[in-house]
Amino acid sequence: MTLWEIKKKQTALVDGLDPTLVPAVLQRLNEMGFASGQGIKCLRRSPLRGPIVLQLGDCVYSLEQNIANRINISLS
Amino acid sequence: MVMSETVSKHKLFKTINERQLMKNIILVGKPNSGKSLLFNQMTGMRQKVANFPGVTVELKSGQLGQHQLVDFPGTYSLKSLSKDEELAIEKIHEAMHNPKTALVVCNLDATRLESSLVFGLQVRDLALQHNKGVIFALNMIDEVQRFGHQIDTKQLSKDLGCAVFALSAKTLIGLQEFKQALLDAVEHAEDFIPATTTEPEQAVLENSRSLSKRYGIKADVVLKRQNRIDDFLLNSLFGGLIFLLIMFLLFQSIFTWASPLMDAVEIALAEAASVVSSSLPDGMVNDFVTDALFGGVGSFLVFVPQIMVLTFVIGLLEDTGYLARAALICHKPLSYFGLSGRSFIPYLSGHACAIPAIMAARTIESPRKRLITMMTIPLMSCSARLPVYALLIAVLIPDVQYLGGVVNLQGITFFVLYFIGIVTALLVSVLLNKMTDLNKDKADMPFILELPTYRLPHWKPLIHRILTSAKQFIRRAGPVIFMVSVVIWVLGYFPQNGELQSSYLAMLGQWIEPIFEPLGLDWRYGVAILVSFLAREVFVGALGTLFGMENADENISGLAANIQTDGLALGAGIGLMLFYVVALQCVATVATLKGETGSRKIAWGLFLGYGFLAYCLAWLCASFI
Ligand SMILES: Nc1nc2c(ncn2[C@@H]2O[C@H](COP(=O)(O)OP(=O)(O)OP(=O)(O)O)[C@@H](O)[C@H]2O)c(=O)[nH]1
Ligand SMILES: [Mg+2]
Repeated sequence: MTLWEIKKKQTALVDGLDPTLVPAVLQRLNEMGFASGQGIKCLRRSPLRGPIVLQLGDCVYSLEQNIANRINISLS
Repeated sequence: MVMSETVSKHKLFKTINERQLMKNIILVGKPNSGKSLLFNQMTGMRQKVANFPGVTVELKSGQLGQHQLVDFPGTYSLKSLSKDEELAIEKIHEAMHNPKTALVVCNLDATRLESSLVFGLQVRDLALQHNKGVIFALNMIDEVQRFGHQIDTKQLSKDLGCAVFALSAKTLIGLQEFKQALLDAVEHAEDFIPATTTEPEQAVLENSRSLSKRYGIKADVVLKRQNRIDDFLLNSLFGGLIFLLIMFLLFQSIFTWASPLMDAVEIALAEAASVVSSSLPDGMVNDFVTDALFGGVGSFLVFVPQIMVLTFVIGLLEDTGYLARAALICHKPLSYFGLSGRSFIPYLSGHACAIPAIMAARTIESPRKRLITMMTIPLMSCSARLPVYALLIAVLIPDVQYLGGVVNLQGITFFVLYFIGIVTALLVSVLLNKMTDLNKDKADMPFILELPTYRLPHWKPLIHRILTSAKQFIRRAGPVIFMVSVVIWVLGYFPQNGELQSSYLAMLGQWIEPIFEPLGLDWRYGVAILVSFLAREVFVGALGTLFGMENADENISGLAANIQTDGLALGAGIGLMLFYVVALQCVATVATLKGETGSRKIAWGLFLGYGFLAYCLAWLCASFI
């Protein structure tokens, strides 16, 4: 499943990133910690399909749909 | 003669010598990690500090001993995603090649070691390749201590192969030692070259993870309070309502909180005017002082308290960390208009002044959204428009209170004017988006935003900021208003000593009247509008002089009252307000737009386009209301 499908309060492990992403974005996501095996927690979903908020490493990030649905995860 | 020559030669020699000895120390790190506050504390400068990522968007240098400390925009990585990062990274590379660069200070947020170290280790490795010294500043150590955590800096320093100083730019812990250490280190920078070997890219990530596991605080501890507050402020149900409420209070407060202060200034000025004018003999000098000085310059000083309140409220929002949340809440709605959630921050600061706001748009990742944001920022009602709005509202709108004084009609009108500016900006964005929409979205940079921790605003910098805003407001517009007032007064006073309607100015005014007649405005407003292309506030000063001269027999009563007695039709007045909402009457903004978009066509095109739109709106109001 992709990160976009995660529900509030769920935790998951990152499986990998869509390799067709722009290289700069791919690299940035990787540096932010979206690398296989990293744990993430969904803190909230916004109404109207707005950005999701998640905890990754020591930061809280918000990501919009077109990027979240290109990150693959598996629930833990 | 000979002596002075040798002295100046000596001086020259000395400055060259000092120049050669002067080294650069660059201050880099992750966004929002406290670099600018540290920079301010070390150099005594006043760079903008606020609690959201991407505050600093330009390099700034300051004096540290005999050396230069350079504050950089924050960046998450050595590979950029947005314009401000691109600039920072380009300049980091430049600095690495510059022999004058002695040291790289890498600022870490001690509460968020992992994410700070990703960039930190990248910079360390880069510095190693260029044989530059690196020192890590472990900033925000006060917060770490508050969590009851200890960081073993000695061991961390060994693991990093670099000197590490724990410090707090806020509570000044360890700052004195750090400053001294820096000054010493510059002298033998080669000792500070990282004692490591360069690692492959992936190792940097693993390294920062394992280091933060060993030394850092657990993320859940750090993020607990922040997440609890977010549960409330980002709540799906109330989050949006709270946002709207905050925005409404922001604009309402500019009017309601400031009005007692404004009344006080107005009364004080009227008092001063009557004292001065009664102590001067009747005649030209007296007329000049009361009409040009008190009428022109004074009527503009009345609005200083409003500027201060606006700065206070925006400062409060910036310092708490709410702005990043606001950007998140706005992202989806703004994306319907082709904008990013990040556009919210420049839009908001555009209500103080468009120039820093246009610069702040550099943090918007997507180049197209950045361009559209920059092009629409001039529609945000900046503080230069405040005096104009306030004057016209006082003239046209009755002072009626609702809900026991919490809300008043004049405040609501204020809000509506701001709102019209925002709505126009959104409509223009849609239009621009349609015009440039060429399948470019595919390669567009996505919206990724870090939510910073909440902080209580620091009162001292806030007060300083408020005072600076007032000072700047006066300094920027004051001289222009003074000059315009004097010129208008002179042209309006002669040749018939005080008969405005038969003065030189009135003759000139007849020439331009046809332009403004369709808007229901006579030549006096025409003159005021034309001179306000120098700076919008000048409108108030110019009208102040003109109406002061006309009512020469009365004592100075407020300008608004003078206009009311004179009569201003409702339609024409509302048209005038809308004209000021839309028109781009600011040369400095046009210049900034030109610089940031790199296109003279866009800048002057906007100037003409918004001018035309403003005129049409004013005409519609004057004709149909
Ligand atoms: N508690 C605490 N807060 C700090 C400290 N240093 C900075 N801050 C706060 O951290 C926030 C960010 O500070 P800035 O100096 O603007 O950060 P910056 O690194 O320059 O940020 P960018 O310019 O966006 O890269 C502000 O709210 C500061 O008040 C510190 O030592 N302790
Ligand atoms: Mg900064």
